[in-house]
Amino acid sequence: MDFFLQLLFTGVGIGAVYALVALGFVLIFRATNVVNFAQGEFSMVAAYLMVVFAVDLGLPYWVAFLISIAGMALLGAAFNLLVYYPLRNRGFLPVLISTIGASIFLGNTTLALYGPQPQVLAGWLDTPGFQLGPIYLDSQYLVIVTVTLALVLFQYWLFEHTLLGKKLQATSQDKEMAALLGVPVALMIMFTFVYSAVLGGIAGILVAPVLFVSIQMGSAIALKAFAATIIGGFGDVAGAIIGGFAIGIVETLGAAYISVPFKDAFAFVVLIAFLALRPQGIFGERVAEKA
Amino acid sequence: MTISRRALNWGLATSLAAPSIWGAGRAAGETIKIGMVLPVTGPAADNGKYSLAGAKIALDRVNTAGGVLGKQIELVTEDDQTTNPGAVLAFSKLAAQPDIVAFLGSIRSTQNHAMAGDILKAGKPVCFGGTDPKLTKLGNPWLIRFRPNDTYSGRVIATYGVETLAKKNWAIVHSTDAFGTSGFNALSTSLEKIGAKVAIDQGYPNQSQDFTPVVLAIKSSGADVIGSYFTFDNDLAIFARQLRQLGVTLPWVGSPSIIAVSALKLAGSALYGSYGVADFTIDANPESKAFAESYTAASKLRPDNYSSWTYDAIGVLCDAMKRAGTTEPNKLRAAILATRGYKGAEGEYNFDEFGDGLHGYNIVRNEKGSIVFDKHIEFTD
Repeated sequence: MDFFLQLLFTGVGIGAVYALVALGFVLIFRATNVVNFAQGEFSMVAAYLMVVFAVDLGLPYWVAFLISIAGMALLGAAFNLLVYYPLRNRGFLPVLISTIGASIFLGNTTLALYGPQPQVLAGWLDTPGFQLGPIYLDSQYLVIVTVTLALVLFQYWLFEHTLLGKKLQATSQDKEMAALLGVPVALMIMFTFVYSAVLGGIAGILVAPVLFVSIQMGSAIALKAFAATIIGGFGDVAGAIIGGFAIGIVETLGAAYISVPFKDAFAFVVLIAFLALRPQGIFGERVAEKA
Repeated sequence: MTISRRALNWGLATSLAAPSIWGAGRAAGETIKIGMVLPVTGPAADNGKYSLAGAKIALDRVNTAGGVLGKQIELVTEDDQTTNPGAVLAFSKLAAQPDIVAFLGSIRSTQNHAMAGDILKAGKPVCFGGTDPKLTKLGNPWLIRFRPNDTYSGRVIATYGVETLAKKNWAIVHSTDAFGTSGFNALSTSLEKIGAKVAIDQGYPNQSQDFTPVVLAIKSSGADVIGSYFTFDNDLAIFARQLRQLGVTLPWVGSPSIIAVSALKLAGSALYGSYGVADFTIDANPESKAFAESYTAASKLRPDNYSSWTYDAIGVLCDAMKRAGTTEPNKLRAAILATRGYKGAEGEYNFDEFGDGLHGYNIVRNEKGSIVFDKHIEFTD
């Protein structure tokens, strides 16, 4: 039982990171009907910004965090203006390819500016972890889960209880109708990119003390987050969260009880099963209604 | 981030983007070109930086001394993107240049396997650092190894763990790629021969984000020592940290990645007290010390095996060209294989008929972050 609980804790921690990045995928997809393949790079860029401000410049952790998040908001806005907006009327594929290009650009630019050596970023708490009976609780995983749950609650409040949230929902459901009703659609899409970049950035900063800061850290997370998005039901916020946690737990338990070498495969076996048996994902009905 | 590091990175990027810079001002045919496949992007990009720096030091040394056969040596590089398809593409680009006389391949066995077919077609010597023993037994005469293969690392890890540390119940952790699998095979075979047993075998996929299942399996296996073959430094560092966090304090003897510069930086105190087999150790011999001084002076970094094998490969290649008096592929290969007693940073090169130049390893210990040389174990069989 101790063995299981230890694994469950780790799976939830990793799953929380997938969920955060998946949330970014979903928000942009809902607003633009496009998958942003640079979502993982948002995490990587934010982690490097933290290294620059917190490690290289020695600023206090929270100051570095706020500056990095502000930087990610700017990056999200620039991404919207340069990668999405010029191609918004050219269909699905050009925008998709544009995001892949942006992903490569962000990775190689960071490589050229900072160099290839992975970097170490300290955790949010001074203590590395706590022993709770037989279970070791990594403090960074506790932070990751806590922040993820807080962001989920914030997002629920934003979308369900604010005018801005209603406008964002209207934009994601029907842009033309939203525009006719006076919703500034372009501004809402801009806000979505900014918010998604910030979410991806927070995920990167949270996971950096666990996985280290490297050019490829974002793509490794994004692949699983993408699978989580499909499992949850593409376009569904709750589905992305549940999908993220599900993948984190399934791959950790699968590795422990079945096979470590096939650890990565478990996530994708679940993905294939969903694509075959329930392609609309866990919360697919709502997407179908939307269509 | 310091200005000097940024300057170094930009300098490196510029050099890689325009490798002909090193040969600028020389007319075609006035230099002898050596091709080099290395990771400039991807997870091993930092390793590629070290490999290039090691090769460049050897290149400068040779060129300063007048070059080879009356010509300066020029290095032409291609990025393998740290992937097998990337390595194949990079080698193809280099192989298409007829004036390249020899190549430096990869330190990763899996990439050398991927390139082996094209290497055979190219028909020119390829010096490589991958340690899968099979690579020099493929029947491909152009593959020539500049690091001791895993047969030796497995024997040294097993011998040291069983005879010096008196541990006979092993947990083996290894990547599931060609390097990790061949390392596991070599270590488990060696353990069996000397009467020890493998309590648990834990293969893992590269770029794993979490090693909790592996650590817990080791913890409950009853093993009294860990042997490891990690391909990537970040995987090793994550494992090391989780190992200590989950309370596993078993002695640990690892393949050379356990003392790689990046691994030491990332894992920090989690690697204190661990042992490693190392083909390159600064204090192993006068040549390794001299190389370390040159490397540190040039790059401000501590050298490791990513840089030492490329340094030696360029040195042996140039020495062989001089002895052969030509760059004709068959004669150059014969001259490389005829190398005896060449003292390099990695040790003394005595090539066998298969193309293996080194036949032993050093044992080192991580003393609070410092790598301390213990002894060298050489095999003659």
